Amino acid sequence: MRYLIYLVISTLLVYGLPYSTAQDDFFDEELLLKPLASGHVYAYFQFTTLWEAPNNVQTFQHSHLFPRGLGEIIGRHKVDELHISLTEGLWNYEKWGYPVHDAGSGAEIFAWFNKNVSNVNNEWKSLTNALAGLFCASLNFVDSSNSMSPEFSFRPTGIVKEPPNSSYLRYSSLPREIVCTENLTPFKKLLPCDSKRGLATLLNSAYIHNTNYHSLGIHFRSVCRNAGCTKSSLELRQTVSLVYDTLTEATQDWSIRKLFGIGIKGACPLASLSNVYIDMTSNETVHVYQLTPSPNTKVTSFRGGQQQQLAVYDIRTYSNRGMFNIAAIYTTPKTSSVTYPSVLYANRYIIGYGQERGSLVTKLHNNHWQSLDVILLENIPWYLPVYLHTVKVICNGQQIKPLIQRYMPGRERTRPYYLELVLRLPPHSVTKFSIELDYLFLKWQEYPPDANHGFYMGPAVITALLPIARNYTALPLDGSTITSSFNASRNGYLVQLRTESLLISLPTPDFSMPYNVVCLACTAVALAFGPLHNITTKRLVLKNVTRNWKKKLLSFVKRLTKDTKDKTD
Amino acid sequence: MRLVTLSAILSIYLLRANAWEIPENFAETGHSNNWAVLVDTSRFWFNYRHVANVLSIYRSVKRLGIPDSQIILMIADDMACNPRNPRPATVFNNIKQHINVYGDDVEVDYRGYEVTVENFVRLLTGRLPPETPRSKKLLTDEGSNILIYLTGHGGNGFLKFQDSEEITSQELSDALEQMWQKRRYHEILFVVDTCQASSMYEKFYSPNILAVASSLVGEDSLSHHVDPAVGVYIIDRYTYYALDFLEKVEPSSSKKLSEFLKVCPKHYCLSTVGVRTDLFRRDPKTVPVTDFFGSLRPVELTMNIVNVLPAHVNKTQPVEPEVKYTYVSQFPNLSSYT
Repeated sequence: MRYLIYLVISTLLVYGLPYSTAQDDFFDEELLLKPLASGHVYAYFQFTTLWEAPNNVQTFQHSHLFPRGLGEIIGRHKVDELHISLTEGLWNYEKWGYPVHDAGSGAEIFAWFNKNVSNVNNEWKSLTNALAGLFCASLNFVDSSNSMSPEFSFRPTGIVKEPPNSSYLRYSSLPREIVCTENLTPFKKLLPCDSKRGLATLLNSAYIHNTNYHSLGIHFRSVCRNAGCTKSSLELRQTVSLVYDTLTEATQDWSIRKLFGIGIKGACPLASLSNVYIDMTSNETVHVYQLTPSPNTKVTSFRGGQQQQLAVYDIRTYSNRGMFNIAAIYTTPKTSSVTYPSVLYANRYIIGYGQERGSLVTKLHNNHWQSLDVILLENIPWYLPVYLHTVKVICNGQQIKPLIQRYMPGRERTRPYYLELVLRLPPHSVTKFSIELDYLFLKWQEYPPDANHGFYMGPAVITALLPIARNYTALPLDGSTITSSFNASRNGYLVQLRTESLLISLPTPDFSMPYNVVCLACTAVALAFGPLHNITTKRLVLKNVTRNWKKKLLSFVKRLTKDTKDKTD
Repeated sequence: MRLVTLSAILSIYLLRANAWEIPENFAETGHSNNWAVLVDTSRFWFNYRHVANVLSIYRSVKRLGIPDSQIILMIADDMACNPRNPRPATVFNNIKQHINVYGDDVEVDYRGYEVTVENFVRLLTGRLPPETPRSKKLLTDEGSNILIYLTGHGGNGFLKFQDSEEITSQELSDALEQMWQKRRYHEILFVVDTCQASSMYEKFYSPNILAVASSLVGEDSLSHHVDPAVGVYIIDRYTYYALDFLEKVEPSSSKKLSEFLKVCPKHYCLSTVGVRTDLFRRDPKTVPVTDFFGSLRPVELTMNIVNVLPAHVNKTQPVEPEVKYTYVSQFPNLSSYT
């Protein structure tokens, strides 16, 4: 079976040769569709550009398939590795398994800089500004006050010459960031076929932004060019992850047309590989469905003790008859079940009341029969000062001592609180990590225009090396395309879970207070001013009144009557 | 040279019978490039209409040929992908959903919290931090015609930004004067759709500015209609009729600016459209709308045959040193810690 895949790939490579003889770069487009047990459909697009060239400024002066705009930024800022994700929604690890690329909600970015960058902070600032312009995202809000250099969580995924030093790493997340068409537009423009041909024509904004979860990703790294790994190639993966809900629809049937609003027109002529894979592992067990048209080939992949059935569609062989559609027709009524929950998942929340202090809790669920080692990275903004002595890691009523602990206290307006723990989670357990924190008062100009909405806190990152590959879809470290994940058994399967990002209401002043004070003070002044002004500026003078005999008589009568009244009293 | 160009164009025109009409003053416009600064200053869902306003103008200038690289679009809040939007990734100008003004191809340069008075004034005057990307800069010169469109909530002499700060008409006119002194524009068409809008241009004192406001001082600018599915008003009257007019304009059309100034008579707008022409040197009756809403692409035709020789590529491949690269373990070795 494996031979068959190679045959398919090699024929495709020959097909793509006219485009790749003069140039030393390749472009692959792939789409993986995976019906999840929960009744959702996971769609993962991957556009891979491989370029047999070293990573330096001279390389990026000319480009062929590699996007020039991104290449220039990478070259100028001496970036060795770059990962950006723009995500809306939360990946449900418990029910959906593991995605190919993990991403926290909002924007997330991390980069490894070259060793000869002298001032990493400045380079990071200018890199994020340049990327903000490229992707129409507010990445320019990334600065040293919300960036950190974790020691264990993020290792270089590409090849390196010498052991990495985490002082060249910067990680930041902007959980407030929204993702919309304006981010998808520049993303599509980086592809060699734009959105004119190939799988990218399926990326229609109206069908992407109505999903339960959508995530755009840019992943750049260096990979081996030859078997001995003595030369490096550049690899750029552009990914789109989408989760569609089929249970809320009238039928559970889905098709390319229904999910993306359009059928597949044809392959990108520049691509050496254009495939659609449908993961049929859950067919016949959870759901029962039929695929039309039937696939070119079916692949069985064994990986980490799991067997996986995949239907492979080579777009080129189907598209010569015009636009085509792949549909899954269900023969059973609607079902949603989670047969095997994921091995590891986590959630996070804030406890406590009032706007003075609270407590941050992260719960880690280990469903495996063995103990699991995990790295927990907490990224706490500077306006939520935490107390290290209140860290509690409790499992089954017993305190767990972290194997390794790294902590750097934050500093107001310049540095976030960095806490990284390596924990050993006992088998079949729920471990609760908690830390107490304060809510800080900000300066009045530091509040955003919608201060009462609250402040977002980026997700915690939980890294683990899973012993089995159940519900696992990520590619192996040494692979570039989705095909490389077939039969890719390794020693461990890396996952990097992102927890929920939290919305925290900081004590917010009443912004109308100064106005009220001004109004009140003005009223008081006005009331006091009138009489005081009268008293100080006006003089009391006796007025001589000359009276004629009628008035004299009248006043005399008045006086008389008054006297009599007085008497009667 | 100009004659040659014109004759060449005319000959092409004659060859293609149903080609576009060439405007009379094709070669006589005084400017060399077109820019647009489109600003929505309002946040929050109930200000949906302001985002629809600014996107309507964005759609028009883009359709009429100004490239995205020369449009600075500032939007203070996300309406298209807002969870309250029943139709994600769309913003409609009309309850009948005639035009999705958000479109499939949109580039927002300043968004969310980036839309501040400081950023707006810095953008106009060009005093930006050195690391600012090109897409966030107004790279105009003395040949640039700029369309500035502002929409939001305003009062007499100010325009609010995001409900938390405001720009005064004096600050705005000083910024424009600074632009003039720095030779950052040739002519400006200033359009503002807000309450008491004409107060925004009253303090202008720099030359070559034509200003249009949706209402006079003491008047409110009103919204056009509500969409019950969205739950809020979806567009303002002035911009609704302006878009209606601009939809009929083609890149080659000869519609004049004086027609644009009359797009919203009082019985449509319910407010009086204010116009200030004393700073503008040309007569709006002679200025095509496309001088500001369209883009001028300097094209020079030649009748000579140009031989393009194949580029002699002398690409010397630097020899890559062979280094032993390795993948790094993604998880720390914990054997020493247990």
